[in-house]
Amino acid sequence: MRHPTEGVLRRLVDEPVGVPDADRAHVAGCATCLAGLDAARADARAAAAVLPAPDVPVDVDAAWMRLRSAAPAGRTAAPARRRWAPALRGPAAAALGAVVVLSGAGVAAANDWLPIFRTEQVQPVELSEGDLVALPDLSDFGDLEVTGDEEPTSVPDAAAAEERTGLAVPEAGDLPTGVTGDPEYLVVDPLRAVFTFSAEEAAQAADAAGEELPAPPPGLDGSRVQLSAGPAVAAVWRQPSGIPVFAVGRAVAPTAESDGVPFETVRDYLLSLPSLPDDVADQLREFSADARTLPLPVPEGMVTSSTADVDGVPATVLQSRDGVVAGVVWVEDGVLTAVAGAVSADEVLAVARGLR
Amino acid sequence: MRERVRADLEEVFRAHYPRVVGVAARVLGSRDQAEDVAQEVFLDFGRSSVPAAEAGGWLSVAAAHTALNLLRSGRRRTAREDAVGRQQPAEVPDVADAVVSREEHGRVRAALARLPRKQAVALVLRHSGLSYDEVAAALDLSVGSVGTTVRRAESALRKEMVRDASSD
Repeated sequence: MRHPTEGVLRRLVDEPVGVPDADRAHVAGCATCLAGLDAARADARAAAAVLPAPDVPVDVDAAWMRLRSAAPAGRTAAPARRRWAPALRGPAAAALGAVVVLSGAGVAAANDWLPIFRTEQVQPVELSEGDLVALPDLSDFGDLEVTGDEEPTSVPDAAAAEERTGLAVPEAGDLPTGVTGDPEYLVVDPLRAVFTFSAEEAAQAADAAGEELPAPPPGLDGSRVQLSAGPAVAAVWRQPSGIPVFAVGRAVAPTAESDGVPFETVRDYLLSLPSLPDDVADQLREFSADARTLPLPVPEGMVTSSTADVDGVPATVLQSRDGVVAGVVWVEDGVLTAVAGAVSADEVLAVARGLR
Repeated sequence: MRERVRADLEEVFRAHYPRVVGVAARVLGSRDQAEDVAQEVFLDFGRSSVPAAEAGGWLSVAAAHTALNLLRSGRRRTAREDAVGRQQPAEVPDVADAVVSREEHGRVRAALARLPRKQAVALVLRHSGLSYDEVAAALDLSVGSVGTTVRRAESALRKEMVRDASSD
């Protein structure tokens, strides 16, 4: 009979039950095949020696808690909090983060009650993960109604994206090495969230936390804040596995209006709530002097931020501390643009400065 | 906001997390990086509609691709840093491998990055404990060609290692 293939010999090394009896019988009596089997075994051993498993068992419980904090499983009821900051934690996540940020909804929802300013600048605020968890969920303080769908929709090309959103899709010039192929174009339609403050619900939430609710300022009870975000467009380059590796996109920056008391009053009152850590409150207060800044929470210790210049506009550069992912975000004329991916900060800046 | 996270995520996570970390760790040689990759892969899975029965293969393939992508972006950085005269990047593998020296660690990563992608993924999946049937299903290969693909990857890996070692 003919000699079995090298693939059959390979399988004999570590899964012999999968090899037909006839092949096994042949190999046992064939010097050529036995030599091939020895060679396959040697190469397999060499590969196994250099591809070691993790040395200690992984902590599945801790890992699950980490995932839950990034993607709150089971919280399927709307409205729920949603933040994009945790998405920046892992490698390859900057592109994801950018897509979420570009969805507009990401910015609005990620910051919940923070983006109550017309956005002119992006300013990172360092929050620890504990602080993120401790941020009060707006739904504890009243009603939050969201209209629109934050889920991005795929469209055939840049022209279709522009037609649907009215936003020109930024066209990247030279892409970083390793980013190839045609991008997928995603759009997000405009979104609106209306938060109605309820003194009764806020008092209940404070009570549950064993705190006393500070007296709301006059007129705050029942006053509404309307948050608008989007539309947004993004071009996303993916790997065959579907994981985004690079994204360029643009969104109408979030704005907010109130129909009762001024924004500043709402913000300052929320800042005064006992459940807000002092240091975070202090950081947030810094923004009150400049009502045109969008605080962008980033996980403390995971991401470094710096500033750069993109064609004369100040931009915020975020880079994971391991240097694996980077993104750059800036706002001009009420439009937020971001470039991010599993590339270096130099590379995202080069693409940002070369956008057409 | 609707957070569309599939209901079976925790069950799938607990069943597959160690293996997914193992797949990424074999590529990266770093458990910390591997756990980061696993987090990303499960986040993606949580938003997907991949049938639960196919989750194991899907997650393993996604972890291998994501880790290989990281390897490649890391290699680009290394090349650039070397070009401007810096020292080798101080990426110390935290996988216990007393046998594999640091230089060899770098050569393995470089060799993996140079392998044809399908070979690299098949190699890593098989060495992570997936059966031939599982590798075949995950990569849409015939079972018969899994052995061939893995064999070629191992042969190429060994040649690359030898070549790298001799060119140092």
